Amino acid sequence: MEEKRTSRYFSMAWWSKTVMVVLLMVVAGNVSAQDEPVVVVNETDTIRPTKYIADLTEQPDLPFFQGFTISGDLLGPGLYLFTDYGNIEAALRLNLKGTFFPTVEVGYATCKSTDPETDIYYATSAPYFRIGLDWNILKNKLQDNRLFVGARYGFSSFKFDMSGPNMKDPIWGGSAPFNYKDASSNSGWIEFVFGAQTKIWRNFHMGWSVRYKKEMKIGQPDYAKPYYIPGYGTTTDTSCWGGTYNLIFDLNWGKKKLKRTPINAE
Amino acid sequence: MKKLLCILSLTALFACSSNNCPLESTVLCNYFFYDQNGVAIKYNDAITVTTLLPGNKTVYTYRKLGFQTVTYAQRDTTLLNEGFSETISTTRKDTLLVNKASDRSFIQVPMSYFNKADTLIFSYNNISGKDTIIIEHDGFAHVELPECGTHVYHHLHSIRSTDAAIDHIEIINPLVDYGGKENIKIFFNGVVE
Repeated sequence: MEEKRTSRYFSMAWWSKTVMVVLLMVVAGNVSAQDEPVVVVNETDTIRPTKYIADLTEQPDLPFFQGFTISGDLLGPGLYLFTDYGNIEAALRLNLKGTFFPTVEVGYATCKSTDPETDIYYATSAPYFRIGLDWNILKNKLQDNRLFVGARYGFSSFKFDMSGPNMKDPIWGGSAPFNYKDASSNSGWIEFVFGAQTKIWRNFHMGWSVRYKKEMKIGQPDYAKPYYIPGYGTTTDTSCWGGTYNLIFDLNWGKKKLKRTPINAE
Repeated sequence: MKKLLCILSLTALFACSSNNCPLESTVLCNYFFYDQNGVAIKYNDAITVTTLLPGNKTVYTYRKLGFQTVTYAQRDTTLLNEGFSETISTTRKDTLLVNKASDRSFIQVPMSYFNKADTLIFSYNNISGKDTIIIEHDGFAHVELPECGTHVYHHLHSIRSTDAAIDHIEIINPLVDYGGKENIKIFFNGVVE
């Protein structure tokens, strides 16, 4: 009967025994080169892995639906403590075969900023949404750690206030206030995501993601481009970097557990 | 690992764009010059552009037979002592916008922030007459980024001119910003051969 290979990872004891056997074979071969080599292995010895790890080359066919994941971002509220803007965000993710994770992210962001040089004030508070897909690029889909690449499309419909010092005409003279309220904008952007997550306790995971964001459409009135787009960030550049630090909870509803085949030593 | 490197490389490619404050951020209306057939030209004559400002100013004019008439914004008692006659009058305030621009294919002229129409007076070195251009427009504040400050953009509505040196005039791009685009075409009399 062909022995089934169960793991790449074996204990130190197993390695020690194997090395000893090989050394014995080499020594025996050298000492009695003209005799037929005789290797005696204690029949009571058994080779056992210390931990069950699924076979990487023969992955079992996972059921299509592997459950839900919900998560919350811890970085956004932290940002609000140290910068002019911040957000709260939650995400719902489907687990399809442990490989593909369609994702919906919903958040609420706020920004209140006054430029120290120009004294121009900007404020907005609004919800935002993102939809997209993550792809677990680890070969072993059964382990609790995941490494993702993915993409998102984000959009937000929001209003903003902007005001500043009076405008003065240097040639013709005269001045007028610069003060606009409830300017409307509909903006969209795409994100490329790279992230990881690891199990911390039972169904709880911690994870992070780094995101490259690119403006797709920024709706703006004549008088101002929105300085901060909820969910995207500041519009200082046409692209920007962002990130999340997530507390994740796996809801394994409907997930079928993998049958673990015991190892029978021959 | 190869996939990861590819993704990071692609990401780095996209990471170089920038949209910070422009170096040239003065909002100016760009007038480009053409002959009357629409061929782009460099206008050799020196052009001076002034504009009328709101309000009036007092002008002192001094005349004497055999001498050139002179005009000052303030009274000159020495000329009175020399026998000049003085005439005091009021006229519209004006200011110089472009001073003797010659051999140019275009000029850039600022616009008023709050007036509905600007009156520009084009004076030429080699032509005795002057042209008056009247532009109707709306100015509106624009903030690209708070760190860049406030600018006033303009929407051009209409333009008309006299015909001392100008054949006709057209609006090409009605939005006046600091992008440097051609806004108005001036077709001068004459044809380039």
